[in-house]
Amino acid sequence: MMLKITRRGSISRSFSALITSIFLLLAFLAGSALFLYAGVNPVEAYYAVVQSFVNPLLLAESITRGIPIMLVSLGLAIAFRMNFWNIGGEGQLYMGMFAATGVVLWNLETHVIPDLLLLPVMFLASFVVAGLWGVIAAVLRAKLEINEVLTTIMLNYIAILFVDYLVYGPWKDPHGYGFPLTKPFPPSALLPSIPGTHVNMGLAIGIIAAFLVHVLLSRSKIGFEIRVTGDSFSAARYAGISYFKIATTVMMISAGLAGLAGLTIVSGIIGRLRPRASPGYGYTGIIVAWISGLNPWLIIPVSILFGGLLVAGDTLQSAMRLPFAITQVFQALILIFVIMSEFLKKYRIQIGGVKI
Amino acid sequence: MRENKELVRMENIVKRFPGVVANDHVNFELKRGEIHALLGENGAGKTTLMNILYGLYNLDEGRIIVKGKDITHHSPKDSIKLGIGMVHQNLKLIPSHTVTENIILGLDRPKFFLNLKEAERRVKELAEKYGWKVDPKAKIWQLSIGERQQVEILKLLYRNADILIMDEPTSVLTPQETKQLFSSLRKMAKEGRGIIYITHKLDEVFAVCDRVTVMRRGRVVATKPVSGTTKEELAKLMVGRPVLFRIEKREKPPGEIILELRNVRALNDKGLLALKGISLNVRRHEILGIAGVAGNGQRELAEVITGLRKVISGKVIIDGRDVTNKSPRKILEEGVAFIPEERIGTGVVPNLTVAENLILRTYRYKPFSNRIFLNFRSIFKHVDELIKRFDIVTPDRNLKAKFLSGGNIQRVVIARELTGMPNQGLPKLIVAVHPTRGLDVGATEYVRNALIKCRNEGSAILLISEDLEEIMSMSDRIAVIYEGKIMGVLPQTQAKVEDIGLMMGGVPLEEIKR
Amino acid sequence: MSFDVIAFITSLLVSTVQAGTIYLLATVGEIYAERSGVINLGLEGMIIMGALTSFIVSFYTGDYLLAVLLAVLAGLLMSLLHAFISISLKVNQYVSGIALTILGLGLSGFLGRPLTGMTVEKVHEIPIPVLSDIPVVGPAFFKQNVFVYVSYVVAILGWYVLFKTRIGLNIRSVGENPSMADSLGVNVTLVRYGATLFGGALAGLAGAYFFIGYQPFWVEGMTAGRGWISIALVIFAAWSPLRAIAGAYLFGGVEALQFRMQAFGYGTATPQFMLMLPYALTIAVLIMLSHHSIRKRIGVPAALGIPYSREE
Repeated sequence: MMLKITRRGSISRSFSALITSIFLLLAFLAGSALFLYAGVNPVEAYYAVVQSFVNPLLLAESITRGIPIMLVSLGLAIAFRMNFWNIGGEGQLYMGMFAATGVVLWNLETHVIPDLLLLPVMFLASFVVAGLWGVIAAVLRAKLEINEVLTTIMLNYIAILFVDYLVYGPWKDPHGYGFPLTKPFPPSALLPSIPGTHVNMGLAIGIIAAFLVHVLLSRSKIGFEIRVTGDSFSAARYAGISYFKIATTVMMISAGLAGLAGLTIVSGIIGRLRPRASPGYGYTGIIVAWISGLNPWLIIPVSILFGGLLVAGDTLQSAMRLPFAITQVFQALILIFVIMSEFLKKYRIQIGGVKI
Repeated sequence: MRENKELVRMENIVKRFPGVVANDHVNFELKRGEIHALLGENGAGKTTLMNILYGLYNLDEGRIIVKGKDITHHSPKDSIKLGIGMVHQNLKLIPSHTVTENIILGLDRPKFFLNLKEAERRVKELAEKYGWKVDPKAKIWQLSIGERQQVEILKLLYRNADILIMDEPTSVLTPQETKQLFSSLRKMAKEGRGIIYITHKLDEVFAVCDRVTVMRRGRVVATKPVSGTTKEELAKLMVGRPVLFRIEKREKPPGEIILELRNVRALNDKGLLALKGISLNVRRHEILGIAGVAGNGQRELAEVITGLRKVISGKVIIDGRDVTNKSPRKILEEGVAFIPEERIGTGVVPNLTVAENLILRTYRYKPFSNRIFLNFRSIFKHVDELIKRFDIVTPDRNLKAKFLSGGNIQRVVIARELTGMPNQGLPKLIVAVHPTRGLDVGATEYVRNALIKCRNEGSAILLISEDLEEIMSMSDRIAVIYEGKIMGVLPQTQAKVEDIGLMMGGVPLEEIKR
Repeated sequence: MSFDVIAFITSLLVSTVQAGTIYLLATVGEIYAERSGVINLGLEGMIIMGALTSFIVSFYTGDYLLAVLLAVLAGLLMSLLHAFISISLKVNQYVSGIALTILGLGLSGFLGRPLTGMTVEKVHEIPIPVLSDIPVVGPAFFKQNVFVYVSYVVAILGWYVLFKTRIGLNIRSVGENPSMADSLGVNVTLVRYGATLFGGALAGLAGAYFFIGYQPFWVEGMTAGRGWISIALVIFAAWSPLRAIAGAYLFGGVEALQFRMQAFGYGTATPQFMLMLPYALTIAVLIMLSHHSIRKRIGVPAALGIPYSREE
């Protein structure tokens, strides 16, 4: 039962595609098993998934849901490139929602900000507040060497509870019939749609962000420092890179992007703030970033793909009474199979006498 | 047939790694009671061969016969049962565990409860047999390197090993400890054990070995009794051409002081004092060699000078300017170059390209970048020039550095460091730590000549090396570091190996002169 | 008047032990895995899958023993996957663990949805004669359910095995210097698999306790980060099972205090800040530990997180 693993040389593109296809197939098979367990016909389920992209209305919805995923993912791509394990996308997203909502609610009382400037101010607020939330973990890591996985996750729980508090308490809409909702946003606080479509401007923000992230990583000084730090901690010190500076900068941007994702949710999807406004986009973002190999251009289509899965999940949920969590299971399954396929591309396995 | 004296016979061993044949039809044998040297330069295939014997590597072709049994496919566990033991170059010990816990790891008995008291008693008994003072309850991190090596050997003796493989054992010892090791080895050989002694140092072959097998580029080129050969002959066999034992150095009067350390004290990573008041200086046109057994503060010394470690007291002065505790970046800007001990990892970033590695320390300055962006055109121009000037062998400047050979990686480090800051020319001070470790003769010569050239042209060089021969042949002055203190500084012309050895073992220069 | 105080402290201690047991079981399991060099970030997912498994089995069959066994099995299977990916395939341990947590949380949410709010009967206490009559301490430690007693055994035996037996020496050595252990004939892969699976089994057990022994009402995501906190507690315990007791009961105590303060009316209007306590405390503990981290650095298994292969 010996397991022998040897490194492959480089493989042909067709072989690589073959491996990816086989594992995608395996993922689908596993998903089918899940559907069957839930008493749902897998074919109908997959049909719903396909519909998410084929039906124009559903496609718009898929893209819309994909936008926050895209933004979180882009932020995570930068952090992961530096080997900074930012698992706090979810909490940073919530802080972004908090900041954007805060601006709107404050302005509803004080009417200080003119309509035209409202969205830009919200934009800034959500980026900065979320960014600072993320910087906390960076400082703890840089100054005290505290593992950032644990700190970012703890901050997630705190941020979500904080938003809960606000929405159940001081920010509850007095005309909301007691439901935990804030007042609805005025039109000037809502992201406009891209003319001729049902997709909000968040998409433009997402694409511009992807471009900026790409430029940052490949052509800028900071991008260079990120890549050095991510590959070799000691070389980075030796190159004169201050870990503190690079970690705080990276987290400001990474968490800030997650904050913008939050903005697109409250201003682009819901139109107000409520508890659990994010169905785990922060964690989906992690999966998307990994599957895309941290490549900003791949992140765009993969996020939309996952947005489509969410839309399909909705359809399945209402039409076939399938619990929402199935999308999360699906995501995790996809990730696991992608890990295994990436591994097979690099190494050859020999179990007993069988060579793969 | 009377008792067969043959312990080990390796026939026609072939071992391939991607891109290289590490062992090419090698034949090797070991008899009872002999100390058999396995001689060759770095990369010749000696360690690979012994890892195969020990069972850590699988062979591709060939046979291994130990004590009459064919054991061609076996694991370390089998080797231990057969009485084979290996003391590796990098001591494989667990610092936080005790001596005894390290020694009894992996034994079959006792199977469940450890019975430490009994084991400790046996360890002490065994150590005393060879005249070693080892406390079986001590934690490894409390021991000196020489003592740690004794623990390694005890590991083997505790298992009644009668085939001992020693891989470059003296690289971590002072000359005095080396003598003690040799007498222990001779005692073990007299007891009927066989010892395989891997080394690249010719002196040791003649000091303690009976036979020598020379390997070169994966092949055995000769097996002879030591009494029937000479240093020159072995050197020639090892390298394939006559070797010059001296390096040509031009006489240059040393210039003004470039580096000065005044009473520097610093902590190591564990929070203990590693540098206990170091004072020294290095001048222009001068190489100051720091000799000493690894682990006596050399790493901390280099880091304190290059800004990678804080001092808790004392001053570091470069070219008249106080740079104590300044950042690595500031010190780089003062004109200090650093060839670090850890080549892959600190010296070179493995997943970055050759080009990116060549600008690793200078990327943030003009013309390689402006405020935000990197200027790839200037970078590539500079990089291509460096590749040509320093003979870096690479098919493409955008190849990831991890694919380069060891020698070429060091060339990248040298090319980057010795060209210094853009528009500044030669670095004022070069700190080089173990610069030729693990390199073959060709690459070693290259590195040494590059350093000497810089010295001749005006740099001050601080050379830290565990290779005493290298220090003695390259330095203008030699300092010896021991437990964080400088034991003494001698001009090279007055330095004798015995004196240096004593200082490496902790005897200050004043005491020797008496 | 003093009666009230004693009664309060006693009941607080009882709750502390009950709340702390899940941390204790999970932390000792993770200590074993990390001591062998494998960090398991899938702990949260494994615990909640253990909880769900124990719920489903006890709900449909009423057989609590079977529920526990299958919960342990669930933890074993998930950690087997983690071990395979990170030890045999040598994929980054963080990635493998986080994927399993997401999987575990999602799967448990999915499978548990139809049973939300349902409940089963909680496991009964078993008072130990004589010992349980000691004032204050008696009820707290000796009038608990079987899971709590098992946790004592796990912590104490866990310490003994780790430091006084050959298995423990192997595990510790493999986590400090795997190449040395390998060269002495220790099967590094087997030891790491074993330690990781043990950790997974205890995670499943912790989940089973959490549901049928502590809070038998199913809510999606009910573990609320206790798995993550346990990973922090491993550091607090300096990788020693006995020290884990201190950390476990510290957080158990905080949880017990939370309940009582809410009962007394504190923070009824804003329960969320109370709920933030454990997470903020975790960060505080990590900060505190980092101060003395130089001394504690002797505790981190040197090879933690680094995959091992013989031929490089």
